[in-house]
Amino acid sequence: MTTIDLNMVGAKGALVEAAEGKWGMVIDQDLCTGCQACVTACAMENNIAFVGEEDAGYGRSMHWIRIERFWEGHYPHVKMTHYQPMLCQQCGKAPCEPVCPAFATVHSQSEQVNVQVYNRCVGTRYCGNNCPYQVRSFNWFDYNDERINKAIATLKHQFNPDVTVRRRGIMEKCSFCIQRIHKAQDKAKSEGREVADGEFTTACAQACPADAIVFGRVDNPESLVSQLMAEGHGVQHLSELGTLPRVTYLVGGQ
Amino acid sequence: MIQKVFKWLMSPLGRVALVIAALAIVSVAMWGIAYVQSPPAQPIDFPHQRHAANQVQCLYCHPGANRGASSGLPTPSKCWGCHQQLSITQTSKLLGPLRDAIANGTPLQWVPVAQVPDFVQYNHRPHLAAGLSCENCHGDVASLLHAYENPQVMNMGWCLACHREKSAGNPELEKKLLDCATCHY
Amino acid sequence: MTQKISRRDFLKLAGVGAATTAVLTGCGPAAKFVTRQPYLKMPEYTYNGESTYYATTCRECAAACGLVVRTMQGRAIKVEGNKANPVNLGKTCARGQTTLQGLYNPDRVTAPTKQGRAKDLSGSAMNWDDAVATVSDILKKYKASEIAFLMGTAPDHLFDLATDLTGAMGASAPVRYGALSMFEGRATLAQAAQEMFGQPALPFFDLASADVVVSFGANFLETWVSPVAYTRGYSKLRKGHDRRRGLFFQFEARMSQTGSVADEWIALRPGTEGLVALALGKLVAEARGGSMPKAFASVNVNEAAEKAGVELEALHVIAEEFAKANAPLAIVGGPALAHSNGVETTKAVYALNAAFSSSFFLSPLAPGEDVYHRPASAQEMSEFVKKLESGAVKALFIHGVNPAFELPKSLGFEAALKNVETVISFATFPDETALLSDYIFPDHHALESFGYQRAYTGANASVLSGLQPAVTPFVDTKATADVLLAAAAQAGFPFPYADEFAFIQGKLQQFVPIAGGSFAAPEINAFTAFFQQFGGWWKQADLVAPTASNGAVNAPEAEFEEGEFFLIPFVSPTLGEAGANKPWLQETADPTTTVMWNTWVEINPETAHELGVENDDVVKIVSAAGEVEASVYLYPAIRPDVIAIPFGQGHTAYGQFAAGRGVNPADLFGAKFNAAGDLAYAGVKVRVEKTGKKQYLSRLESKIGVYGEGLGEEH
Repeated sequence: MTTIDLNMVGAKGALVEAAEGKWGMVIDQDLCTGCQACVTACAMENNIAFVGEEDAGYGRSMHWIRIERFWEGHYPHVKMTHYQPMLCQQCGKAPCEPVCPAFATVHSQSEQVNVQVYNRCVGTRYCGNNCPYQVRSFNWFDYNDERINKAIATLKHQFNPDVTVRRRGIMEKCSFCIQRIHKAQDKAKSEGREVADGEFTTACAQACPADAIVFGRVDNPESLVSQLMAEGHGVQHLSELGTLPRVTYLVGGQ
Repeated sequence: MIQKVFKWLMSPLGRVALVIAALAIVSVAMWGIAYVQSPPAQPIDFPHQRHAANQVQCLYCHPGANRGASSGLPTPSKCWGCHQQLSITQTSKLLGPLRDAIANGTPLQWVPVAQVPDFVQYNHRPHLAAGLSCENCHGDVASLLHAYENPQVMNMGWCLACHREKSAGNPELEKKLLDCATCHY
Repeated sequence: MTQKISRRDFLKLAGVGAATTAVLTGCGPAAKFVTRQPYLKMPEYTYNGESTYYATTCRECAAACGLVVRTMQGRAIKVEGNKANPVNLGKTCARGQTTLQGLYNPDRVTAPTKQGRAKDLSGSAMNWDDAVATVSDILKKYKASEIAFLMGTAPDHLFDLATDLTGAMGASAPVRYGALSMFEGRATLAQAAQEMFGQPALPFFDLASADVVVSFGANFLETWVSPVAYTRGYSKLRKGHDRRRGLFFQFEARMSQTGSVADEWIALRPGTEGLVALALGKLVAEARGGSMPKAFASVNVNEAAEKAGVELEALHVIAEEFAKANAPLAIVGGPALAHSNGVETTKAVYALNAAFSSSFFLSPLAPGEDVYHRPASAQEMSEFVKKLESGAVKALFIHGVNPAFELPKSLGFEAALKNVETVISFATFPDETALLSDYIFPDHHALESFGYQRAYTGANASVLSGLQPAVTPFVDTKATADVLLAAAAQAGFPFPYADEFAFIQGKLQQFVPIAGGSFAAPEINAFTAFFQQFGGWWKQADLVAPTASNGAVNAPEAEFEEGEFFLIPFVSPTLGEAGANKPWLQETADPTTTVMWNTWVEINPETAHELGVENDDVVKIVSAAGEVEASVYLYPAIRPDVIAIPFGQGHTAYGQFAAGRGVNPADLFGAKFNAAGDLAYAGVKVRVEKTGKKQYLSRLESKIGVYGEGLGEEH
């Protein structure tokens, strides 16, 4: 048992977490059909802005989760690789964290996820530059401001009050639906119990019609996530960089 | 060029211009400060003091506080529950908007004054569960005529000072209470 | 006092200035205080700062997936799947998720409008009393035979109401249509079932119980019939039984999103699906031994493979897997049905299932249904349009469908509408048809509505999914059912229901005494309360594999128009038929191409090279019926003699996010039908012309391109 030194924060804090995380996700690529339900569910849950055709063409779209796919071979023996939902891997040792001059992207010691503190962010975009997974998106404009995007005047009624509406000039990314984590923990605490496995889940996992995404505690060997991870055919993307990703991909099938 | 400007600024006319400019800047700043410090207009000039003095519990009107994030604002029907029993309700000029609201079925548009910015996800419930009372943050409401007179400035330093104090010596609690992700997401 | 301003003083002054600017422009909220508008009276079960959840039904398509809507202080925040509903079991698709952007869409019709066929948004607002009087006047003014109702595939309660109303009036029954039901080929599926099994039912392909699935063009993971239910089934197939992963093969000319997850995707010549199915049946029967079913006896496998352009070896491999499977299953759908030989193709695949599959069923009927009532086929719609054109219809009511966009232009709906004296649209959005109407009397959005929807397939249960309002109406809309009931009462038709809710209760009455349902209640009010609480009522159905007449099945050649390329139009997996007005659906990348916000033309890279076009070059696609222009996307998984265009964009109205964006491939369709009356749109052939223009597509994937051609050298 390693002892935790609370003075080790930020970049060094990652070492603390090396052994185990807290929240984790397993994505079974063999089940993913690329249907994009997770993408829109995430957008609706987390007040993610849409940027319009032109900005989307510049690569400014704000997806926190995207579905990647690659091609192999040429017609007629062409094959698409498994769809690969890509989101923030909530690295235990995140490359984005040490480069932030404003300490706006830091490691949460209590939830062991990588958090983006919007009010600290000054928009240097160093973190996005240093993220090997390219999952951070930057607010180039006030897309969610009704004075700039008139449609927001009515669309804002849908905004989730549990999630900050981001403004221009800051970075954002998947938070593992931390608002749901807090809500579930708060509810459990008020009832004097622990959060049960499967009691709540992230918006993407909740929507996924193929049950390809599973979310839960990786430090609890009884949880579904831990059991799936223990099956042994999971991979963690770019783990050779030492990032300690908390998302495990199962690549079954062929 | 700059030399020339400075030279002009040192001439009598320039000095007058400087003074005017300085005055303009200062007055705009003062106006700005006054603007953000002044209380907003409310539909009813609500006296918290009088209600608290009559032993109305905070949670009677703001029951959300020990259930979840928001303490909530009372609906006119809640006000009416008590006020319809008071004869003064029918005659008081102050209560005119309440009578109108009940008669016309239009809500009272309150303006909350105890606010945190949008990027702070504050939750009342754990604070009450931790044994804090409303007065710890909202001031001595029983002696304040209006809620906005609360002298406490709600900023992050103040939040953290209390969080540090409460979690001192408890590493688990410290981890939770001093974590960015506890309030910012 | 020095005569100079020191640098220090200057900085101080600048500091004051900066502070002032900061205060004024707001390093923080622009307005310090925000006005809150609490309820006048807190609704029951609602607490400050806590969410209230309402079970209802998704109306983005007609599949009847159950939703649970999270609301907060009277606003709908998020939709989640209803775990109790047997169709989706708590899951949703991308379109279901964004239904909220329909509810709070800035372009909704905000009040009853005297549109006067203005073609733009210049109609003048009316009040609802006048609107009801207008409808009532029409009911009185015209003979029953001169009134027609055209309705969408959802919601069912309104269709039932219109059916009862027209019945009471003596008018002809309402006609139902939706572009999705055309692309799904529902008439073809039902016709083939009628011919083989003696019932005009929709099929239910139970993927969850199968272990080898062969699909002939069915896009069942995208928009086809009940995509969430089929995706759930697909997931079970892959998870497997006894941990043996199920296999999935897809035959189609253009790799669809469904085909892209197949273990083997096999390109075949469009229109040869039935032939390949029969050949596969012969190989499987041979491999399994026993008697050869009549259906496959006469087919020549080598010839079939050659005609279809399929490698014989691939056919043998699949037949082998199919033969040794415990629970093989063959699916047919998508463009395979939309050929002149669509019914025969479907029968060939049904014959495969009848011979070998234990996972193929006819869908259980929805509660209260005696037979599957399918929406109108394109041919029936064509007859309906002719009726409009003849002037026999004087008043037309349109709800839940946008025929000016969803019907192919070749059927001439827009021109026929000119011969109808009064057109009343109940559209929630100012779509193309609404703008061509005399009046728009907007219905509530689905999340503001009462109602019910029948599930026609997707579950081994008989499902009636319930709708209830999650929020109060956001703009000045009125339930169409209430408008019709009030107008019918004013016009003096004896119709026993006071309002929409009473009508729904009246229809639910018949289920109260039925035992074995998902809940039981002693009387109707309790029943309705449970119906809303659980989001519907359903009853387990015993699925029985249908017995087929062991007849011969033919696979005639499909007929094609003259032209250079086969055209495969497909419903956009993200937009569906009516998703173009939701900005987040527009910004959701197409799964296979990752294109957002526009229409593209998929061309095989080899073909494109021969044509001399590259990515993002605008080409003109010309068919006998029309032409469209769109940007090229070099798609690696499409036959070189095929081009594909997604359906869903190309609106001229329908709000700021949809209008003027992309093109509608239905403009290319002719008016040829298959034996079941479904449009044979897959028989269209087209010519590709260069325009010399370039229009860059916004893609989520890298600009480098599929094979890295943007890098400037061979990958």
